Amino acid sequence: MPSATLLGQALISGVLAGGMYGLLAMGLSLSWGLLRLVNLSHFALAFLAAYIVYELGTTWHVAPWWSAALVVPAMFGIGAAQHWLFDRFRVNELASLLITFSVAVILEAGIQLYWTADFRRYETDYATLSIKAGPFFIPVLELALCLVAGVLAWGTWLWLRKTFVGKALRASVEDADIAAAYGVNHKQLAYLLSGIGAAYAGIAGTFIALIATLAPAEIWTWLGVVFAVVIIGRLGNPLGALLAGMAIGAAQSLAMAVFSPAWAPVVSFSMLIIVLLWDPEWL
Amino acid sequence: MLLEARNLHIGYGDAPAVWDVSLDVGVGEIVSVIGPNGAGKTTLINAIAGLLRCRQGDLRFDGRDMTRVKAHDYCGHGIALVPEGRRLFTKMSVEENLELGCYLAAARAARAQSLARVYDLFPILGQKRRQLAGELSGGQQQMVAIGRALMARPRIVLFDEPSLGLAPSIVDDMFDIIARVRDEGAAVLLVEQNVLKAIEIADRAYVLEQGRIVTCGLPADLLQQPHIREAYLGV
Repeated sequence: MPSATLLGQALISGVLAGGMYGLLAMGLSLSWGLLRLVNLSHFALAFLAAYIVYELGTTWHVAPWWSAALVVPAMFGIGAAQHWLFDRFRVNELASLLITFSVAVILEAGIQLYWTADFRRYETDYATLSIKAGPFFIPVLELALCLVAGVLAWGTWLWLRKTFVGKALRASVEDADIAAAYGVNHKQLAYLLSGIGAAYAGIAGTFIALIATLAPAEIWTWLGVVFAVVIIGRLGNPLGALLAGMAIGAAQSLAMAVFSPAWAPVVSFSMLIIVLLWDPEWL
Repeated sequence: MLLEARNLHIGYGDAPAVWDVSLDVGVGEIVSVIGPNGAGKTTLINAIAGLLRCRQGDLRFDGRDMTRVKAHDYCGHGIALVPEGRRLFTKMSVEENLELGCYLAAARAARAQSLARVYDLFPILGQKRRQLAGELSGGQQQMVAIGRALMARPRIVLFDEPSLGLAPSIVDDMFDIIARVRDEGAAVLLVEQNVLKAIEIADRAYVLEQGRIVTCGLPADLLQQPHIREAYLGV
């Protein structure tokens, strides 16, 4: 059995890593839960954003926050444009999975064409910075990621709960015709939500650029675990996505510390299966 | 006339469900459409609510041609639907359901007043405002559906089978509410299987059978017609 300090550190690292799962899951959860579109290209968009932030930072020496100010609105536009395709071809839930898978493969190829298959690392002065709290180390970048994810999750949750637009979106998932009969222009709201989802991919991408090593095939790394997070956190619930992400991150990290690193994927999918057996209406 | 439908043909896919239907609703009127199951009553009312496109014919509301108006713009012109089976947003609270009724800017501006009016009309909804709409009883759900329509500050309320599936003791209350909606200024188009009540409450009524209007007239006259007495009243 590892020491208490090691377990504590594993827990902290796990929760912080889970922040990334949650951040990536949020955009997916919104479009899956509220538009019934499963967007596999979300991960590819996040990596596209990461590569752009990397490129701007290494070649042009643009600070990542300025890059984000550019990339996030651009991603919003890409998300809305992508929704135009879905709308134009009346794409349903299953078809969206297949189409966005293709989009992801194409984006992956595009990234590989421009940036090659080499591993890329965006070195910054603060990449390895950490705060010491007692016996534990808290990496600053990951902490910042979690704070940003927390603000976004909370803000989005409030937006869906409290505003008329949020209520209209929730109503439309259940009965789009009746929502329309009361004046909800679902088409317009769907563009907005798709844009927001993709903008979240842009924010996640900015952090991926700073934290992770980039390679085109890496876009698939988080696919499995983030899907589990989306479902455990409940579709369309951004706060649930973040909490589920942190819970899975913590569980994975503890499993790796106590057993072996090979156990990490087993943990997330066992949790998924347990949740689904416990409450099948979750989806 | 507030609502004028002329020679409407409505259908799903290749099969028309409603042929050549014309009807009028005047300001402050209650107009009933009665008929057996499958006669096309819901199809007709959904088309008037903008949920279905008419293939042919002329639909005018307050003189405006509605056939080219988008579904989500019908409400803004003053048309509100109380749909068959209520179709509430079951995972949202009672108050959120009501608020969806005043989604559009003009109605939203009067949100507080409208809410007070609905809770005055249905005090039980005020007590259950935070509860999920799906957890209410059938009668209470019908109240939410009517309240949602009133929140839109409509000029006409379309009721589709409001008494369907309700306990007999509540059915009378429902018809009282419909009369009150009219008394407070909105016109009413009512589609019902409860023929006697629907005719009694109406200023005028139409009989729809197999997608066509077979007869129409004043309630007293309709109640005298042998066909109506035989087919609907069982006398």
